[in-house]
Amino acid sequence: GGAMSFLKRFPPPAEGVRHQQPDTEAVLAGRTLGAGTLYIAESRLSWLENSGLGFSLDYPTISLHAVSRDLNAYPWEHLYVMVNAKFEEAETKEAPMAEGEEEEDSDDDIEPIAEFRFVPSDKSALEAMFSAMCECQALHPDPDDEDSENDYEGEEYDVEAHELQQGDIPSFYTYEEGLSHLTAEGQATLERLEGMLAQSVSSQYNMAGVRTEDSIREFEDGMEVDIAPVVAGQFEDAEVDH
Amino acid sequence: MEVSHSVKERTIAENSLVILLQGLHSHVTTVDLRDESTATGRVTNVDAFMNVRLAEVTYTDRQGTVSHLDELFVTGRNVRYVHIPDEVDIRATIERQLQAIHRVRYFGGRDKGRKEFPRTKHK
Repeated sequence: GGAMSFLKRFPPPAEGVRHQQPDTEAVLAGRTLGAGTLYIAESRLSWLENSGLGFSLDYPTISLHAVSRDLNAYPWEHLYVMVNAKFEEAETKEAPMAEGEEEEDSDDDIEPIAEFRFVPSDKSALEAMFSAMCECQALHPDPDDEDSENDYEGEEYDVEAHELQQGDIPSFYTYEEGLSHLTAEGQATLERLEGMLAQSVSSQYNMAGVRTEDSIREFEDGMEVDIAPVVAGQFEDAEVDH
Repeated sequence: MEVSHSVKERTIAENSLVILLQGLHSHVTTVDLRDESTATGRVTNVDAFMNVRLAEVTYTDRQGTVSHLDELFVTGRNVRYVHIPDEVDIRATIERQLQAIHRVRYFGGRDKGRKEFPRTKHK
């Protein structure tokens, strides 16, 4: 067949490749582009034919993707990708290839759609390919979405701090209450942590969860716990009942 | 109970009706897409950006052609409407999802297995 004008030569992605599937045929609107390797990378979806020519798709342009094993709909199991964009299938001098395309061109109301199918020779890889695409797609939320507020960083912390100050709902147990609710596993965890605490005090390391004047420690989810500054060694004389 | 591991996503969910969609996990639901195609399948995941993942899907494209897809992922941007199944109690679903988020939040971590300190009234 004729060369697809949108195919380019470029190096395969090197970073953030969540899944790579060799020996995968790419099909656009029913026409095969050949066999190559599909790269599902965090930045974009790329396919490179064995000759070195290929194309990339940006996740924001992908409307949906799916695993199709319905052989009545299409004779080979594949990863279906619907893209919200136009792809030229042939040089403009040649006659248009797909009948459906002409109708869509003339109707301004209907958005352009390009249907890609990636047919791996290894059918069992389809689940992994699908999941990798889901993960990468989730990394590219719609920037035009008016509903989702821009900045939620730190907001959950504020809500939590406010609610904790209410004090109505006991969401924390006092030491005695909590101890009586511990399972054997919880007990073992407590003993281990206390052991670590005792050890770290004696070697004067910063203790997890305890801030000295020199250290600032943020919990992973952004919640800062306001504890008065302590001096290492403060707990040396603490009594702990097991 | 599926609750996101991300602080930001939990906050988004808590402040929008995405939280209801997340409560549809395992329910068979019909999603109308922006291009007027529809997909009916079992909800396996909805994230804070309203990306919807369905399994065992009957997909009807905008020309009306029906096909079956093992799994389908639709980006939030392309979701026009999600049909809430009749058997779903909307208020109860939202409350349940909020409780799940609060359970995760109050015990400060992302681990689901916080069984050492169960709240007595939920036993």
